Amino acid sequence: MYGFQGTMLIVDLTQGKVLTEKLDERFTRNHIGGVGFGIRLLYDRLEPGVDPLSPENMLVFASGPLSALGFMGSTGMSIVSKSPLTELIGDSDLRGSFGRDLKSCGYDALIVRGSAKSPVYLELTDRSVQIKDAGDLWGKTTAEVQSILSRRNEKGFRILSIGPAGEKLVKYACISGDVRFFAGRLGMGAVMGAKNLKAIVMKGEKETPIADPQAMKNLMKEIHYEVLHDGSCDTLSKYGTWNNTGPSNLKGTLPTKNFQRTTFDEIDQIDGDAMLSRISAGDRTCPGCPIGCRRVVKSEQPYRISPQYGGPQYETVAALGPTVLLGDAVAIAKANELCNLYGLDTISTGVTIAFAMECSEKGVLTDKDLGMHLKWGDPEGILQIIRMIAFREGAGDVLAEGVKRASEKIGRGSEEWAMHVKGLEIPMHDPRGKKGIALAYATAIKGADHESAMHDDVFERENALPELGYVKPMGRKEYQGKPLLVKKTQDLWGILSDALPICKFPMAPPRPLKPNRLVSALNFVTGWDVSLEEFLRVGERIFNLGRLFNVREGADRTLDMLPNRFSEPTPGGASTGETITKENLERMLDEYYDHRGWSKDGVPTEETLKRLELKAP
Amino acid sequence: MAVTVRFVSVFRDLGVSRRLFVVEAETLEKTIDKLEVQIPGLKEKLVDSHGRLHPAYQVIHTKGNRQGLCSKLDCPIADGDEIVITPLISGG
Ligand code: SF4
Repeated sequence: MYGFQGTMLIVDLTQGKVLTEKLDERFTRNHIGGVGFGIRLLYDRLEPGVDPLSPENMLVFASGPLSALGFMGSTGMSIVSKSPLTELIGDSDLRGSFGRDLKSCGYDALIVRGSAKSPVYLELTDRSVQIKDAGDLWGKTTAEVQSILSRRNEKGFRILSIGPAGEKLVKYACISGDVRFFAGRLGMGAVMGAKNLKAIVMKGEKETPIADPQAMKNLMKEIHYEVLHDGSCDTLSKYGTWNNTGPSNLKGTLPTKNFQRTTFDEIDQIDGDAMLSRISAGDRTCPGCPIGCRRVVKSEQPYRISPQYGGPQYETVAALGPTVLLGDAVAIAKANELCNLYGLDTISTGVTIAFAMECSEKGVLTDKDLGMHLKWGDPEGILQIIRMIAFREGAGDVLAEGVKRASEKIGRGSEEWAMHVKGLEIPMHDPRGKKGIALAYATAIKGADHESAMHDDVFERENALPELGYVKPMGRKEYQGKPLLVKKTQDLWGILSDALPICKFPMAPPRPLKPNRLVSALNFVTGWDVSLEEFLRVGERIFNLGRLFNVREGADRTLDMLPNRFSEPTPGGASTGETITKENLERMLDEYYDHRGWSKDGVPTEETLKRLELKAP
Repeated sequence: MAVTVRFVSVFRDLGVSRRLFVVEAETLEKTIDKLEVQIPGLKEKLVDSHGRLHPAYQVIHTKGNRQGLCSKLDCPIADGDEIVITPLISGG
């Protein structure tokens, strides 16, 4: 089977057993790989109602058909599990070379189930799979684990690990990849911690066969040429994702003070130019990507920041900056470094700290409750509370549960300040100024996710995405046409990019990874004859399978909602007065469900299931 | 017909960050032409090979307290208007 090893590895940590299963071509063509494999495996093999942190939960690491190539983020993988944060389907993508490394060991996917009696790590090579004692690694930061395991193993082993936050089952703990790449969202690190699995090390030399390597090489050359010469990736290359900060502020979509505002007074201290002048120490790229958007930061004063962890990307800058009213680039980078060391998702951490600050400001949490004085924009307080969350110390214990559970526990009206959808903290794009993103947050299978559908800004010009029918411009603040746009781009940008896998950034118009080229890449690698229509249908199938998983767990229309704060008008900036009222969201949901072929309750109809070759739960 | 122009998170290599430019022009195209004198190389980046505004950038046009987008080069600009040139936000 071209593009695949055709084998899946299953490790049962309770029994200390390892087995393999063959993958057939029907399975691979129907789900492609990555998130598609993960959701299907969880749907088929996990009983509903399983506690995400119990041994019964499964943690799937899945590569895709493009993973063996060095092609714009294709060497990454998806990590899929039932999320402890949302108790629904959860997935988090990991860039770097980990998908390719898994394939080099001979596996397209790895399923970890059960829970070890004491801390262990997994060592995978193309000759053996070993479950090894990790007693000496437990309690260590991601950087310490990286250093110990790098010394212990020969050169070239790639290392996935969790930090103390994963061990302490912080519900938004992440998984580190070589301490430079992070599968941040939805608490995959907590699932790993619950399994007593501290790390996975991988190295192999197995080749994955490619059906038409020459055609693939030509396509990659053509795309690389455009990236370097057509100007569409220039600012991403030069500023990294920091190119978003200034424009978001200008457009009034930059979450500020726990989404109470959408512009930040100290923007000049933290925008792309400020970060580049103050703390940038160069850039890094993913294998085979000529864009190189990953900024590296360094500082000696007032905080020492090592370039080892790369640097904060836009989402982190905004979450640990304006969201908590911190306008200090070095302090933001330090907060990012701590999250990386302890293994915390930076978005959820920032939004949770902002929630705690609002509780403190409004007198719902006192200094005594918090064990400290936590005020907006105070760098020392922010760094201290990050440590408390990671180790579940004092008030950090309740905040480690995420804003949904924390607010339910704290009560006294604090639920109104808990900015989440389905339990996942809202990322760094205020949806009032982008109506499509509002609907995408409400309907994404994993909760509020900024990478689940293309952003409205992209469609403000002509011919944005003709392959999907988007020729005429649509305003970002308009409702018209957004339900269908969200549906189509959820299937393409949200799902299929993570199934191939491929980085989403070069896929965003006007950049050169157009849908037809993705289909060509898939066919050149696998030897299939997939059409654009079939490709998009696979995306739709995977999305619906994720929805079915959630429906089986009890999710329905009532969870496709946004926090009440978004029905209040934005107070300033270029989105002044914009709202998303309940009525407007309900109207968009009705239309969206129609396009999806779902009932009024948000459940895929019999006809939809038949069309997508799916079965009802 | 004085128009103020700012650049946000773009063209750092052209030395435009944090600077405010004032030019006399009636359309976006003329604004870019005038700016090109002060910022050599700007036009090549902002205007694509088809002679259109490059789709990787947005031109935010503020007129009094109204804000909109200039998406065509013949977009009229009036005395006292402000334009800001930014990269297109595409998530991430
Ligand atoms: S655009 Fe950035 S994140 Fe994506 S593959 Fe390239 S370097 Fe990696």
